[in-house]
Amino acid sequence: MSDQKVKIDVLTLDSVQCAACGYMMESIAAMPPDVQEMIEYKEWSIKTKSGIGKFLELNGKVLPTICIEGDLVFESIIPQYEELIDELAKRAPTPEMSERIKSLRDVGFDFDNIKANLQKAGSGLNTRAD
Amino acid sequence: MAKQMLIDAIRGKKTPRAPWVPYAGVHCAFVIGEPADKFLQDPKLLAKGVVETAKKYKADGIPLVFDLSVESASMGLEIKWWPDNVPSVQSHPLSDKTVEEAGLKVPGPEDGRWPVLFEAAALAKPQLDEMDCALMGLACGPLTLASHLAGVRIFTDVYKNKAKAHEILKFCAEVVEKSAESYCKMGCDIVAIVDPVASQIKDETFREFVHPYCQAAIATIHRYGKTSSFFICGDATKVMESVCKIGTHGFAIDEQLNMNFVRDLARKHGVGFGGNLKLTLALSLGILSPREDAIVSLAAGGNHGFVFAPG
Repeated sequence: MSDQKVKIDVLTLDSVQCAACGYMMESIAAMPPDVQEMIEYKEWSIKTKSGIGKFLELNGKVLPTICIEGDLVFESIIPQYEELIDELAKRAPTPEMSERIKSLRDVGFDFDNIKANLQKAGSGLNTRAD
Repeated sequence: MAKQMLIDAIRGKKTPRAPWVPYAGVHCAFVIGEPADKFLQDPKLLAKGVVETAKKYKADGIPLVFDLSVESASMGLEIKWWPDNVPSVQSHPLSDKTVEEAGLKVPGPEDGRWPVLFEAAALAKPQLDEMDCALMGLACGPLTLASHLAGVRIFTDVYKNKAKAHEILKFCAEVVEKSAESYCKMGCDIVAIVDPVASQIKDETFREFVHPYCQAAIATIHRYGKTSSFFICGDATKVMESVCKIGTHGFAIDEQLNMNFVRDLARKHGVGFGGNLKLTLALSLGILSPREDAIVSLAAGGNHGFVFAPG
């Protein structure tokens, strides 16, 4: 399998303090294991210098926003599973990965591994003003 | 400080000037040099922090706490405490169980942190009254509470499993009503339903899953003769018309909304509106001048139903 992954940046106020930001992060963390293998995601809190830099780099407009491969895709709307799958598939680095993502459209969210996935992504750990 | 002016503004009336509310939250802990987790669990520190902060910022009103985990914690959900932030909800018992299976009960004044809040309010209220500053109670809104209870799946269930979502929201409405009643009983002059995630859904979903489940709490606030508000965060543009129609005396929004748009909408519906100093860009990060931001906000809001506050 290719090492290439679909890159997701989640622009937040702070996933600890802001419930909407937290559930935006959870929507990505709830993707099933087969999808988790193909994505990498990171929270960018606007309370940090690096978060401000990312917000400006991506031309962010509102918080929270899910950006996929640099596109502002879900702006202040928590996505449905199929919506996420469709947008990930559109931006997959290879046609094979795109097809594999599409094939998982009926799998649905996996709510059992959210906490572990959030920890892996460092959610809430980089939200302090620096 | 002017409590009645704040109440009048939230009720959409003209006021001699725009009243001012700092939504201080755990900043009150910072003001008295205590960590947030200790502050939120100690009634004496809580009262001290709220009173000192109201004094420091010459507030016309101040919330007792701005912590949307109170209701969840009172039902036994796992909470993670932070020394410099509000607690966050870690467990979602309704993600795979019904309300009955999870054994959830509507929490009363004796449950969880409610006794701490009652004691803190009893200590703070007379001191705030002396300063002519209103005490505000902030109840967690139904959709935010539903997301705490069921996790992110609630945002799928509102589209694909409506019966389950309605069952959860019906329970949440009872919790929010009880919470609003508790804030009324502890002497809060203003009680707001705070539903930040209600901006992250479509307008028709708001009308189906937020509006009806706020009505019991709003009726209770009004039955106690208190002033009601609805707080929403984020880019709530798509649901603003529905927010104006929810039935509270007023509402408050955050920095992501255009104040002129919000003002015109609020005046059209005859309700008060509050906001929207730029909490991150100006007050926290200083990217914009807080002074100029305040002038812009005050100019847009005017003195007709407007509460000057952070967004």
